Amino acid sequence: MKITFIAADGTTTEVEAKEGDSVMHTAVQNDVDGIIGECGGSMMCATCHCYVDEAWAAAVGGQEDGESDLLDCAASEVKPTSRLSCQIRLRRELDGLVIHLPESQL
Amino acid sequence: MPDHTLAPLDETITIDQLTTAPYPIYKRLRAEAPVTRVKSVGRTFLTRYADCKYVKDTPALFSSNDPNTPMKKAFQAHTLMRKDGPEHMAERMAMASSLMPKTIQDVWQPLYRQLAGDYLDRLPKGEIVDLHKDLSAPIAARILAHILGIPEATDEEMIFWSQALIDGAGNFGWQPEPFVISDHANLEMNALLEDAVKRVRAEPDPSALSVMVNAENPIPMSQIIANIKIAIGGGINEPRDALSTIVYGLLTEPEQLEELKRSQKWGPAFEEGVRWVAPIQASSRLVLEDVEIGGFHIPRGDTVMTIQASANHDEDVFDHPEKFDVFRAKNPHLSFGSGPHHCAGTHVARRTVGAVMLEMLFDRFPDITLPDPEIVQWRGFGFRGPINLPVKLG
Ligand code: FES
Repeated sequence: MKITFIAADGTTTEVEAKEGDSVMHTAVQNDVDGIIGECGGSMMCATCHCYVDEAWAAAVGGQEDGESDLLDCAASEVKPTSRLSCQIRLRRELDGLVIHLPESQL
Repeated sequence: MPDHTLAPLDETITIDQLTTAPYPIYKRLRAEAPVTRVKSVGRTFLTRYADCKYVKDTPALFSSNDPNTPMKKAFQAHTLMRKDGPEHMAERMAMASSLMPKTIQDVWQPLYRQLAGDYLDRLPKGEIVDLHKDLSAPIAARILAHILGIPEATDEEMIFWSQALIDGAGNFGWQPEPFVISDHANLEMNALLEDAVKRVRAEPDPSALSVMVNAENPIPMSQIIANIKIAIGGGINEPRDALSTIVYGLLTEPEQLEELKRSQKWGPAFEEGVRWVAPIQASSRLVLEDVEIGGFHIPRGDTVMTIQASANHDEDVFDHPEKFDVFRAKNPHLSFGSGPHHCAGTHVARRTVGAVMLEMLFDRFPDITLPDPEIVQWRGFGFRGPINLPVKLG
């Protein structure tokens, strides 16, 4: 399956992803700048903040328990489509997912 | 057939060598024996980035839970640093909001700016001062006292308690003396906290103590006190050493400093300083099941040590790792750890030392110099940084 990351400056990167992985993990594995994932997906760092593309928002679903508290800590603006990418697991239906990256994570 | 070869045993490396000059040792281990049982420390050292990251990110196999370290005696409590799962989470989350960017931006950052101004005012222009002792340590103590909700504690008290707790927690030889000192520090902290708890009950504020005491479902008082002590033990030396390390790095790389003064983008200097010499160099995890790391069998019950100092210098991840280079393209250092125990003070450190202090220091003293870098001494195995930083303020 494939995921497309669109950086704040518009740079687009399409990567091959594995079902079951998180979006954060996929980005880090593929060296996508703009996702740090410093706490390894433990919902502790808020450096994996991303915006789910509007067209995919429903399929991905809303924030999990505890996510919004931590998103308050994110460095860039939090929008209704904001998610912690470590909390988005890739399911088959998410093949082709488009993720927008924030200006900065620190 | 599973391979049951144990990691090689090293009987030559001494704690003294690790304390004075660890980096050449780690370089050799990364190349020759990245998984090694080090006899003098009684731990299996992991010196490669990938292995350190794997261990930190896999808490189900590598537990922080080890109630039998000297830490318990030093802190007179089993603290969240040495717990796993929901218990750790509950205690950590109890004070999280006071350490999160919103509160930092609204409350701690403006306060830090003001305090930093006061401490910089005290420094004599044109003279040589030990910046480590006269700035890095006291400013770290002062802001922490406020964040924790015990501003009545003096810098000297905070620094003494912190060191007493650290020395006690690291007293793996179980000598009596460090515990006598940490017991004394506990008495003083307990007395002060008793009054502070009453105060924040009557007048809640955004401090960690107040947030914990006034929570809807508070954690037990014993754990509130333990959390404050953990933050005292873990919240002074690290930002202190980070600041001194970064200033040293910048003063010995004047071209980089010039560029930063021009761009005013200090964030990367902070990240590079903590990568270059990680304030917390190593941490332990208890192995819960037989596992294999780097082709070696690590038996259940073993204790592995992730050497983040070494991971941060891993040639597979960082170009010219031994060089302080603010402008490296990527800097995924492990200085704040990873996984559920990812440093709770990360945001505070980034937004105080990183975002405020560097800018203010070099604005106030644009011609600051380090007359003799050779006399700066570096120390520490578990925790590391310079122990002096004589600079000329100009
Ligand atoms: S990776 Fe740290 S919160 Fe997602």
